[in-house]
Amino acid sequence: MKNTTKWLTGAALSLTLAVPANAQVLFWSTQAAPIEETQRMRDNVLAGFEGGVDFQPQEVGPFITRLEAELEAGSGQIGLVGALHGDLSTYADSWADLSGLDLAGITVSDAFLELGKLGTSEQKYLPWMQANYVMAANKQALEYLPEGADINALTYDQLVDWAQAMAEGTGSPKFGFPAGPQGLKHRFFQGFLLPSYAGSTVTKFASAEAEAGWTMFQELWQYTNPASTNYAFMQEPLLTGDVWVAFDHIARLADAFNQQPDNFVAFPAPAGPMGRGFMPVLAGIAIPKGAPDMDASMRLAQFMMQPETQVATLLATNFYPTTDAALPTDLPASAQALGPAITAMTSAPDALPALLPVGLGDLGGQFNQVYTDTFERIILGGQPIRAVLDEQAGTLRSLMEQANAPCWLPDAASEGPCPVD
Amino acid sequence: MTATVENDTPKAVETARSAGRFLFIAAVVLICAWVLVPIYLLMVNTLSSPQEVTGFPKTGIPSFDFSSIQFFISFAGVAKALWNSVLVAVLTMILSIGIGAPAGYALSRFDFPGKEAFRMLVVMTRAFPLPLLALPLAVLFIRTGLDDTAIGLAIVHTVLAIPFAVLITFSLFSGIPLELEEAAWTLGCNRWQAFQKVVLPLVLPGIAASAVFAFTISWNEVFAAAVLTIENRTLPAFLVQNLNVSPLHLKFAGGAAMVIPALIFIFAVRKYLFAMWGIANR
Repeated sequence: MKNTTKWLTGAALSLTLAVPANAQVLFWSTQAAPIEETQRMRDNVLAGFEGGVDFQPQEVGPFITRLEAELEAGSGQIGLVGALHGDLSTYADSWADLSGLDLAGITVSDAFLELGKLGTSEQKYLPWMQANYVMAANKQALEYLPEGADINALTYDQLVDWAQAMAEGTGSPKFGFPAGPQGLKHRFFQGFLLPSYAGSTVTKFASAEAEAGWTMFQELWQYTNPASTNYAFMQEPLLTGDVWVAFDHIARLADAFNQQPDNFVAFPAPAGPMGRGFMPVLAGIAIPKGAPDMDASMRLAQFMMQPETQVATLLATNFYPTTDAALPTDLPASAQALGPAITAMTSAPDALPALLPVGLGDLGGQFNQVYTDTFERIILGGQPIRAVLDEQAGTLRSLMEQANAPCWLPDAASEGPCPVD
Repeated sequence: MTATVENDTPKAVETARSAGRFLFIAAVVLICAWVLVPIYLLMVNTLSSPQEVTGFPKTGIPSFDFSSIQFFISFAGVAKALWNSVLVAVLTMILSIGIGAPAGYALSRFDFPGKEAFRMLVVMTRAFPLPLLALPLAVLFIRTGLDDTAIGLAIVHTVLAIPFAVLITFSLFSGIPLELEEAAWTLGCNRWQAFQKVVLPLVLPGIAASAVFAFTISWNEVFAAAVLTIENRTLPAFLVQNLNVSPLHLKFAGGAAMVIPALIFIFAVRKYLFAMWGIANR
């Protein structure tokens, strides 16, 4: 017994100590986490990089913990970080300057490059890929569309009428909303509902206009599938037919279009009194100052921006290029359907872009929680709208002061922390 | 009159017995279904094509479509992650028993100052959530070179498993009468020999069971594994991260990939588990 234990321990130790030296660049990412996307990123996008890439997508929790640990220790294994703008902006001081990178022949969107500077004079991250949120509908739903409503120029009031007509016509609520724990509901309130109704995400959080928006959403909720509080990816209930009309991130709708391209249509998010609020999603790539092989990391960052890589990334993740890379004509059904819907939304005459939160640092989670709590209290808890908004506005105000974050679009620029009226 | 009495008395016993039998069988069926139905559904969905998984109505019979499984097997690194999981779990098992069993013996056989406080404190290691500990641990591990090694992760898992190892072995040793050891001493054994020849054979099945428990704790742990390893990922850290944002049919396939090795392991060691319950009941 004793000898066996000794032998086992010895064998295990010798095995663990024989860690192979790895020259691959470690690509630490919060994006492309669904397992099929990961597979495509590895096989179709990163396989072409000389020297090899170890692509490791993570949930945000472990992602940040590991990143912070390496930044604090001053060394580590992460060679390239891929994350959303909000996550990257937290660690502005820790990123190496990428402005020296040779991007000859590639035109990157100026607005995105400016965001990538994170308010400094250095290029802290490179815009990697972008996405958006749209609506998707089963074609069976179209016959219930209210008279005179144009699916590409829908208003929220028409959406409520539509959802009501579907619920009454089919006998069950057919509108779906990603309100599950993994769902992106907070983005709808921050980037769509409040901008469309109040023209603001933060400043007019508790205004009468915002109140009108929540009243509309309360009405819509009556015709919303109650299983919505469990939904994370709307493509699944759309495919099963539990839901006919849904709002979600394009990457979370793509499967519905790819599996049954003839059954679904994509269209822009509705408009409110202030315009058609929408929230573009921007993911960037950055290099930690303590990267083990700075040279290889730089080459990988450059590789990610090449036109062929950008197109391959679109096919792998359903995130669109940030550069002027020419798109091929034989795109998959999801890209063919979702692309035009995004264009229709962003180029609509009443388009009202709202940015992802900027400058909140690690308070981003609490910021989202304010909107989620407001939703849960008003819609799920049935509490009076005015009282909830007043209370949550207090929380929001102290958050903005704590973060000392100035306003971002669509709120007007501010001196000092963004005010909450 | 006599007829009714004759009919009455024996029947009462028989009905009671058959009602009891019925209740017993119903309970057995219910408990079996409780365990087997989810596993059955997992298997059916794993072996069905993606269309069938999201489609309705369900047939309940697998179509033996292996595309989801195939996707998993070909997914880079699954085999290595599985090996790492086993390695870390075995190391955890050895470390937690190696440290926990002596502590359990000391608690049950000796009186020393602070004994009760120690019993409380041992459980305290479970009071701190891992996400809180992971950051300083990761920094320390990077600085000391323990980062990204199986032994480093096994040490963390050992900390999680030790309270159970100590408390289970404590109750095991307490179940062995001290008189047995004393008898061995009077017959010429010293303390170590008495332990080795008398106590150890009696508690070995129980120790094996508590080792299995340590194995399971390590096998199921995700957060520390995700933060403290990169190249040497364990299977849960490798899969669970990606699975909860993956399509339904792959969730099922991933669930099966997690459940099957654990089931095989539990089957392999089941007699030790039963042994632990036998001893614990004494």
